[in-house]
Amino acid sequence: MTIHHHPPEELLTAFAAGLLDLGQHVAIATHLVGCARCRDAVRAMEHVGGAVLAGLLPTAMSGGALASVEAGLDRLVAATTSPPRRAAGLADVPGLPQFVREYPAGPWRWIAPKVHLRPIQLPEASSTRVFLLKSRSGTKMIEHTHTGFEMSCVLSGSFVHAGGHFGPGDFDLGEGDDDHEIMIDSQDDCICLIAMQGDLKLNGMIGRLLQPLIRM
Amino acid sequence: MVNETPNGATSDAARWAALIEAVATRRDREAFATLFEHFAPRIKTFMRRSGASEQSADEFAQEALLAVWSKAGLFDPASVGATAWIFTIARNLRIDVLRREKRAGRDYTVEIDPEFHVDEGPLPDAGLAVSQVESRVRNALTHLSEDQQRVIELSFFDEKAHAEIAQTLQIPLGTVKSRLRLAMNRLRGLLGDLS
Repeated sequence: MTIHHHPPEELLTAFAAGLLDLGQHVAIATHLVGCARCRDAVRAMEHVGGAVLAGLLPTAMSGGALASVEAGLDRLVAATTSPPRRAAGLADVPGLPQFVREYPAGPWRWIAPKVHLRPIQLPEASSTRVFLLKSRSGTKMIEHTHTGFEMSCVLSGSFVHAGGHFGPGDFDLGEGDDDHEIMIDSQDDCICLIAMQGDLKLNGMIGRLLQPLIRM
Repeated sequence: MVNETPNGATSDAARWAALIEAVATRRDREAFATLFEHFAPRIKTFMRRSGASEQSADEFAQEALLAVWSKAGLFDPASVGATAWIFTIARNLRIDVLRREKRAGRDYTVEIDPEFHVDEGPLPDAGLAVSQVESRVRNALTHLSEDQQRVIELSFFDEKAHAEIAQTLQIPLGTVKSRLRLAMNRLRGLLGDLS
């Protein structure tokens, strides 16, 4: 798997800083599963975070803070690796991070000819919706622009648009006025994880007719 | 406890790592107190700048150090540097705190740590050793001006903190953002291709 399209550096930094909302976080984490280069970049930023933390001016702790923490130590149970896994709602989808596989997901549902959507339910409120989108080979997606942004992580198959060719592991960020005309060019279905904020604005007559059906 | 070596920064990193390991393997309270005295006041600053009140920031710093105690056994010096590890504890606590506020009253918790645990996919990590990553980051930061270092700090805080800085320095928010972009570009250039 050769990855050609990566998230912009600001997003990787915000991920490492813990500043992304959960929906965006899920999209970046999904890209990281397949991308060693971006994993290294995130790791480096975590080390920058460590240096930043160590370099912050100290704020004096309240009197007795250490004593009261020390008094609580005996009651603490040492953490072990990870808690037992819950039933996995998305266990059958390859390419997702483990924690996302455990989220509940709805069934695939038809949203347009040759296109199905499967919503992923986040455990926390997020202004970003996350879903899987499955499109059949040869599907030409309706041109659209965004009122917010849309992050796509290709899990399988591939698509092409003016910005390039996107295969498994690739990350595509659509913002604002990007005019997307997307063509699924893989033989098999193309499955993407999408994190989306705002609404799609579909262009053209058919788009306007379909819009009420595609309230995702 | 740990011998000092002439190279200050390197010995610091090794010293913190040794203290965390002493907590993990021997439940060493003296080591814990040393970690507490250094990191709790800095985590408190981190939480203050993330918008917590004086009292909450104090409590969160205490909570973070309790997490250092209970998670010390999970610290793996082969995969992360000591200060980066403590940073991730503070970062994850901050996320947890924000979520607690949002779901006020509703009684459930979601562990944050797994959300940052990324299993390696088909491609293994490029495999720069932790000490190499640490020293590259350290070198890169020393090549930045003091101003730029201060601006890099902003990447770890949200927009509100940026606005406060703009106000303190009496410069427009847009200037803060463009300085941040410049400093980040410089830092990335200095970090080079990590893979």
